[in-house]
Amino acid sequence: MSKWMGLFLAVLLAGCASVEKVDSGARAVGARLIFELDGAWNQVNLPGDGTAKVWTMEGLPIDRLLVYSGVKDGDEIAANPPGGNAGPARKSLRFRKGMQSDELVSLFETMLTRDGSIFKLERLAPSSFGGSRGFRFEYSLIRKSDSARLSGLGYGTVDRGELFAMLYVAPRLTFFPRHRQRVERMASSARLKAG
Amino acid sequence: MDRRTFLRYGCSCGLGLACAGTGFAATTTESGWQVPGRFTRPEISSDEGGLWALMDRQEKRMRRSPFAIRDAALREYVQGIACRLAGEHCPDIRVYLVHTAMFNASMAPNGMMEVWSGLLLRVENEAQLAAVLGHEIGHYLERHSLERLRDVKSRSAVAQVLGLFGGVGAVGQLALLAGMVGYSRDQERAADAIGSQLMSNAGYDAREAAKIWSNLLLELKARPEDDPAKSSPLFAGHPAPEERMETLARLGALAPGGSVGEQALREHVRPYRLEWLIDDVKRAQYEESLALFGRMLAHDARQADVLFARGEARRLRAKDEDLDAAIADYTLAAGIGGEPPETHRGLGMILRNRKMWTEARASFRRYLEVAPRAPDAEMVKSYIEEMGT
Repeated sequence: MSKWMGLFLAVLLAGCASVEKVDSGARAVGARLIFELDGAWNQVNLPGDGTAKVWTMEGLPIDRLLVYSGVKDGDEIAANPPGGNAGPARKSLRFRKGMQSDELVSLFETMLTRDGSIFKLERLAPSSFGGSRGFRFEYSLIRKSDSARLSGLGYGTVDRGELFAMLYVAPRLTFFPRHRQRVERMASSARLKAG
Repeated sequence: MDRRTFLRYGCSCGLGLACAGTGFAATTTESGWQVPGRFTRPEISSDEGGLWALMDRQEKRMRRSPFAIRDAALREYVQGIACRLAGEHCPDIRVYLVHTAMFNASMAPNGMMEVWSGLLLRVENEAQLAAVLGHEIGHYLERHSLERLRDVKSRSAVAQVLGLFGGVGAVGQLALLAGMVGYSRDQERAADAIGSQLMSNAGYDAREAAKIWSNLLLELKARPEDDPAKSSPLFAGHPAPEERMETLARLGALAPGGSVGEQALREHVRPYRLEWLIDDVKRAQYEESLALFGRMLAHDARQADVLFARGEARRLRAKDEDLDAAIADYTLAAGIGGEPPETHRGLGMILRNRKMWTEARASFRRYLEVAPRAPDAEMVKSYIEEMGT
């Protein structure tokens, strides 16, 4: 058993985290973002995850989906980077409604590398998300804690001054290729309610 | 805390007394402090042997690590400095350069030394780098990590239980505990004194040592919200920064003169400097980065890469007059020449936000001209299209 699986289980058993199943079908995240899921996910509620909903298929040490819904101007983007070691206390990372796509990706990059992991942007292009004009990005990550090589995929948009985004990351070999299409379908299914 | 964090707080071993009779003579320095003779590998069944075995495993991981910087010329350069400082211990020291944006170096009792890229970015010359390496070698020569391990063991009731299991496993647990405790302040003071002595012996100007800490303190004090002495691991376990600077300045004054080596350091880190500047901006500790970049520019105002980095930090922080200042930095960098392509992207982003379409398009087009295969090229093209012709 990897040390991260052990840690994950320990946190769970200690009652510091809870897990809920997210079934297939139409699922709302927050007041305005809805996905049409073609398979179940597990939502993990961890202390310190703050703004993002954290979902996983294989377990957090392996894969992780962060979903941001209705993040307002000045709100903190606060999720632990993959592997769970956020390192020493860091300055808050906050969304500002005037941020452009490059700057939003840079914000996510900073969040993902707070533990010393290395991020490389592979591609950033315009894309629709939630029916709104947004962006799609692909990245690679070398996780500091165990030097694991991960691949990542993200979508985002700012609609009516609020940020909506999803970021998925999993080991480059096996797990990311296995789940990539499902994540892409989930992103395509996203729609935003008028609110 | 994992093994990597343990190393981060430094780890050293000395075996001075146990080397008596091995045939390696101790060296007496001018101050009377004796450099111990070379260490021999301890018995695996001993606590020290267990510690070395733990560090040997860590070193195997480091050799394969994607975070290791594998530039042979740069590594040999830093190894050369460590060797000059360590004297006859040189064959026992192996330097690994690590791609990590923070200021740190550490040394394990088995002779493995880690030097982080954040440190290489921050030191102004070879003498300052030698000061940090000399400090870590001081911990190694005095076996401070073994002292710490034994201190934790003697105080810890847990040790009695772990002792039942024996060997490397128990030592590993204690090593982790010891890592959490950190070196004592007396050990840190001793390492500073030894480091200063080693610098002088190797021909470096020991007065440079105090400057490292004053520079670091300026960076950390730039953060408005907290006291670096309380929040930074660099200072939290060490003597108070002011005491440290005064002591190092006094030690340096005892043996003034010696080489500084600014040009040599600059030449060796040049291929990596832009990457490390960008790493620092990405930490999003903008006040610290701005203090660092300001210091670098005070030394030489015509560094296009540093101006670009300062522009990026200001643009991303976006407080008060930051955006105007960022525009000035980007413009100056472009005027000097040799600026990174992202200079034009950064400028374009600010101008786009200000709805200065003509100027923004020009900047984005320049970015795409010099970096047509940039990963965000499609995104930047879409910005241009949105702004019309």
